[in-house]
Amino acid sequence: MSPQSIIAVSNLTKFYEDFKALDSVSFKVEKGWVYGYLGPNGAGKTTTIRTMLGLLRPDQGEVQIDGVNPAEDPVHALQRVGYAPELPTLQTFFTGEQLLDFMGKMFGLPERTRKERVKELIDLVGLKEWGDKEIGKYSKGMVQRLSVALALINDPLVLIMDEPTIGMDPEATAHFRNLFTNLSKQGKTVFISSHLLDEVQRICTHVGMINRGRMVFDGPIMQVLEAFTQQWVIEAELKKVTKTVISALKKLDYVEDVKAEGNKLRIELKEKKDLRGKISSEIFKRKGVLLSLNLHKITLEDAYLRALKGAQ
Amino acid sequence: MSALRRITVIVGYEWRRALAKKSVLALIILAVGVQTSILTLYSQFTAGTMFLTEEVKPFMWILGVLQSQGLFVQLIAIIIAGSTMSEEYEHGTADILLSKPITRIEYLSGKFLGGFSLLALVEGLTTVVGVILASWFFGPQNGIQYVPLMFLAIVYSTLIFFCLSFMFSEVLRRSTLAILISFAILIASSMISQLLASLYMMTGEYLYFRLSRGIPTWGASYFPLLLMRELMTIPSTAFLNLINDPLIPFEAEKRGVSEAILVREALQQAAIIVAVYAIIFVLVAVYRLLKSDVTKKTA
Repeated sequence: MSPQSIIAVSNLTKFYEDFKALDSVSFKVEKGWVYGYLGPNGAGKTTTIRTMLGLLRPDQGEVQIDGVNPAEDPVHALQRVGYAPELPTLQTFFTGEQLLDFMGKMFGLPERTRKERVKELIDLVGLKEWGDKEIGKYSKGMVQRLSVALALINDPLVLIMDEPTIGMDPEATAHFRNLFTNLSKQGKTVFISSHLLDEVQRICTHVGMINRGRMVFDGPIMQVLEAFTQQWVIEAELKKVTKTVISALKKLDYVEDVKAEGNKLRIELKEKKDLRGKISSEIFKRKGVLLSLNLHKITLEDAYLRALKGAQ
Repeated sequence: MSALRRITVIVGYEWRRALAKKSVLALIILAVGVQTSILTLYSQFTAGTMFLTEEVKPFMWILGVLQSQGLFVQLIAIIIAGSTMSEEYEHGTADILLSKPITRIEYLSGKFLGGFSLLALVEGLTTVVGVILASWFFGPQNGIQYVPLMFLAIVYSTLIFFCLSFMFSEVLRRSTLAILISFAILIASSMISQLLASLYMMTGEYLYFRLSRGIPTWGASYFPLLLMRELMTIPSTAFLNLINDPLIPFEAEKRGVSEAILVREALQQAAIIVAVYAIIFVLVAVYRLLKSDVTKKTA
C-alpha cells in the first residue's frame, strides 16, 4: 500500500455458493479522493463495500483501511470510518437524536462531544424538526438523510456510502453532493457507490467500474473519459452552410469528417483536443457566419457504457 | 474505548430494543398476573386441606417463587433470546452495528448479556412478587434469607433454554423460527423427560433414569427445587410432592439411601447439565457468527 492509500483492496474474490460475486477485485483509494464506484445492478458494488467493512468474509484477497484489515481488527480499522448503507433500515424505536447518540457511544465519544455532534449533524442533514421524533415516523428520504448523519458522527477520515442519495429529493441531493465535495476538501476520503453517473461525474475525482464482479476500469475521472473516448466532435451552427466551408474544413489535417444537416455542421476530429478556435477561424476565412460552436466530449455515461460493453 | 465499555453499550442497546417490543412487556405482565392468580386460587381453595396446613403456610413463598419458574419464565427466556440476534438480521440493522468499531465476540457478548440480564430482571420481579404475595396471603414466611440464593438458582436454571433460543437465533437468523423450535424442544423435552421417568419407575431400567436426567428440561426445572430442598427442611410430604422430582423418593426406596443424599447428587448433576448445555449452545452461536457473513436484511 502506498503511504497515502487509505483504502487498499487487493485481489478480492467472493463466492455466494457457486456464484462468483467478486473476481480478483483490486483498487486503491488515496487520502482526499472522492472515489465513485460504478456498476450495473448485481455487478458486485455492495458486496465490495460490505467486504471492505468486514461484514463479509472474502474467499481470497484482503482489504486494508488505513493499513488495518477490518475483518481482523475492526476496532482499529473502523474507528475513523463512516458508513451509510444502501436503503438503510434503522432502529425504529430510537428517535433520530437518540440513534445518533447511541452510535456516538459505539465510537466511544464522550457525552459532551456526542451532544454537540448530534445537534450539529441533525442541522446539517436538515432534520432539525424531526430529531426528537421516532425513526418509525420518518419518510424514506429522511431515513437516508439520517443515515448520512450517522456515518458522520465519528468525524470519519473515510466515508463509505452505498447509493447515498437514493430516495432524496433534488434539493437534498444537491445539498449532499456539496457536502461530499466539502468533506473531500477537508481532506476526508469519500467512497461512493452510485448509479447516478451525472452525480459521480460532478463530484468524483476518481472512479472504479465493476461489471460481473470484475473491475473494468480504475483511475482518475479524466482518465476514464479519455480512455473510452473514441472521438471528439464539434457541432457548428451557421447562418448558411456553403460547399466552400465544408470542403475547406474537410481538408484540415485534424478533421476526420464533416457532415452537414440543414444549417448545422458536425465536424469529427482526429484528435481528442478542443480545436474550436481553429475551426471558427477557418469558417470566418470562408466567409461563414457562425451562430454557435460546441465541443462534444464523451460523458461518463458514454464511457461507462463503453467500458461495460468492452468487458462483455 | 475498552472491550468492556463496548459490550456495555450493546447491553444498554439490547435492553432498549427488547423493552420496545410489546410482546416482551405483555409476557412479563402475564407472568406476574398468572403468579398472582395461582397464589390467590391456592389461598382460597386449599385452605384446611392437606396441601395447606398451618405448618406449610410459612413456606408458601417457595411455591410463589418457583411456580412461575416453570413455563412462563422459560417462555420469556425463549422469546427474549430468540429475537436477540435474528431481528438485527431480519431488520438489516446488523450491518449498521457490525460496521462500527466492535468485534463480533464483543457484539455477541453484549447481546447475550443484555438479553440475559433483562431476563434476570424479570425473574427478580417475579421472585419479589412471589414473596410479597405469599406473605400477604399466608402470613409471615420462613427461610426468607434464602430468597436471593433461590433467585440466582432460577436465573441459572433458565440459562439452558435462553442459550438454546439464542443459538437458534444466530444459526437460523429468523426470530419466529428460533422461538418456535426452542419452544417445541421445551415441550418435547418436558414430555420425554416425564415419559422416561415413568418408564424407569415401571421397568426399573437404569438407562431410562440416566436418560431422563440428561434431558434439558430436567436441569432447567429441578435445579432451583433441588437447591431449595438442600437448603431447607419442609415439614409436609404433600407440599414436597408438589415440587419434588418424583424419581428421588422412588430411587431412595430402591437404593435404600436417604433422600438427602440423592438430592445432593441430583443438585450437582443438574448444575453440570445446565452448564454443559449452555456452553455448547453458546459455542455454536459464537462459531456461526465468527465464521459466516453478516447476512443482509431478510424480512
